[in-house]
Amino acid sequence: MNIENTKAQMRKGVLEYCILSVLRDNDAYVAEILETLKDAKLLVVEGTIYPLLTRLKNAGLLNYRWEESTGGPPRKYYGLTDTGKDFLKELTHTWDELQTAVAIVTTQKNKNHE
Amino acid sequence: MNKTVNINLAGIFFHIDEDAFTKLQHYLDAIKRSLSSSQGQEEIIADIEARIAELFSEKTKTDRQVISIREVEEVIAIMGQPEDYMLDEEIFEDETTYARSKTNGKQLFRDTDHSYVGGVSSGLGHYLGIQAIWVRLLWIILTLASSGAFILIYIALWIFVPEAKTTADKLSMRGEAVNITNIERKIREGFDDVSGKVRSVDYEKYGNQARTGASSAAKGVGSGIFFLLNIFVKLIGILILLIAGTTLIGLFIALFTVGTFGIIDAPWTDYIEMAGIGAPLWTISLLTFFAVGIPFFFLFILGLKILVRKLKSIGTPAKLVLLGLWLLSIIGLAVLGIKQATLRAFEGEVVTTEILPITSQDTLYLAMKYNPDYSSGAYKTDLKLKFDEKDNKIMYSTDVRLVVKSTKDSTGRIEIIKTADGSDYKDAKQRAENIRYNTSFLGNELFLDSYFTANLNDHYRDQEVRVVVYLPEGSTLYADENISSFNRSSDYYGNILNYDQEGNYLKISENSTLCESCPQTESDNWDEDSWDNEDEFDGTIDFEGGDSTDNVKIRINGKGININKDETNKIRISRDGIEIQKN
Repeated sequence: MNIENTKAQMRKGVLEYCILSVLRDNDAYVAEILETLKDAKLLVVEGTIYPLLTRLKNAGLLNYRWEESTGGPPRKYYGLTDTGKDFLKELTHTWDELQTAVAIVTTQKNKNHE
Repeated sequence: MNKTVNINLAGIFFHIDEDAFTKLQHYLDAIKRSLSSSQGQEEIIADIEARIAELFSEKTKTDRQVISIREVEEVIAIMGQPEDYMLDEEIFEDETTYARSKTNGKQLFRDTDHSYVGGVSSGLGHYLGIQAIWVRLLWIILTLASSGAFILIYIALWIFVPEAKTTADKLSMRGEAVNITNIERKIREGFDDVSGKVRSVDYEKYGNQARTGASSAAKGVGSGIFFLLNIFVKLIGILILLIAGTTLIGLFIALFTVGTFGIIDAPWTDYIEMAGIGAPLWTISLLTFFAVGIPFFFLFILGLKILVRKLKSIGTPAKLVLLGLWLLSIIGLAVLGIKQATLRAFEGEVVTTEILPITSQDTLYLAMKYNPDYSSGAYKTDLKLKFDEKDNKIMYSTDVRLVVKSTKDSTGRIEIIKTADGSDYKDAKQRAENIRYNTSFLGNELFLDSYFTANLNDHYRDQEVRVVVYLPEGSTLYADENISSFNRSSDYYGNILNYDQEGNYLKISENSTLCESCPQTESDNWDEDSWDNEDEFDGTIDFEGGDSTDNVKIRINGKGININKDETNKIRISRDGIEIQKN
């Protein structure tokens, strides 16, 4: 078992949920999504997000539109589809359950050790 | 000082240092390989390129600023290593399939990085899992043992086994898993110096291979049967390869020794020279070589295809060229064959008659005149090539037929009938006339040559000589024993000289001969004279043995020993010598 791999897997597991959450209220282009995720220290390198975005888009959870930018190349603005919104609701529910479950298990463990 | 390259990244123009460009290209290639195309590889790469362009734009203050390797490294640090682009499920899979795929998908390639000649030996070494030095030793031993023939097999492998060009090829040649980590490692090891080389990696294919490899491990029994079947098929492949290979080698040797250089004086070279087909010997050899060799060549490839899974095809154009060449050879041979047949369409005959001064009271001694220079070989009817006294190349044959007939004329005569084939009657007749054949008559002895000769430029056209000796009725013929192999005792020719009558005096009557000194008469006399006259016997021992079908009488007395089986089979030992009579 490689500790770095395990860490990366844990992060990647929740990454899809987080991306969808970022886009819940307003559309954003990749750099904005990245900024939010990086600020939260959920993402170390940017590369991971591209295959994820494409996959979510191909699954019909996201769609995008092009917008011209002043300095660089045109930007892809991503937004949630209706399916994406339902998906996000479902995930939020699961996440809450999972959080509670993990909290119970880990605190239980600590009590046993004490 | 640095050379710069102009690039277009997501529609934005950049100046970039050459080394920075190479690094960026490596990076993008590596990412591309870490993504399978089903995930939308093209789109992801476009997004990444757009992001990199954005980052570069932020870093460059003016349009004239050049992107250096430092900027590229910074961008890579932000974007992450190729492994970071892999999605989670691929990471899980990697750990389980790496170990297994090591034994899977080992393929035969030529290892040109560690080659002496064509990389065949080192490639085979990787494939068989042994050191290349042993394979090379084996090649040398086999080549020496087969007196060079294995060189051709080596060359065939050289041609048909693909070279390990890409990193993926090199990895599967060694049986290592084709994955991003191994490819990166190989690149770091300096396996590839040019970035473009790695682009041909079909990552998805190897990914799938690894997956099916994992699932097939579960089907243990099925794969066991498949393995046995595989070995059987491979054995058939080896058999085909060996048959076709040896035939091709034989043809090659035949072509280069006999056909072209004429090192070996094979019998058919003489024949072809005499036949006058109208094409030089090397053309016929080449046509035959193609006509026979090309089908075997395809057989050879078939065998090789069975053995080497990823065999490089010789290509459709090459196949068509070979097929065309084969058809042309067949047509060429057919045309020559038809031409040869038309050259023999007509038969010509020339008859010369000579008077034989033999009357009904005379006796004729008939004998063949042999010349050791023109003696018969294994086949009497064959024409053979020879240099005559003046060193001209001539043809000769011992295909001389002798026929004896009776005539009502007062004197005898000889007819010499020469025949030959030709493309028309005149040609055939001219050719028949060109046959040289001699007879000589001396006293009352007639000598016939045992052979005839013809010029080489008359070619082989079924030349024959028939000698008919007409003898007046009432004359006597003594035929020498040596004519027996020329004598045709056949009703078709009306021959009156029978087999076994040679060496006897024969009285010629109308359409038959009367034997005056044949053994039957002699033995009858002897029987009456000495056998049945018992009065003369003194101290005689008689044996009568055997059963009713095998009755043998043995008599020993003062005159000698007689062993009689029947009237015609007897042995007599006396002071005159040993006499054996056999029917």
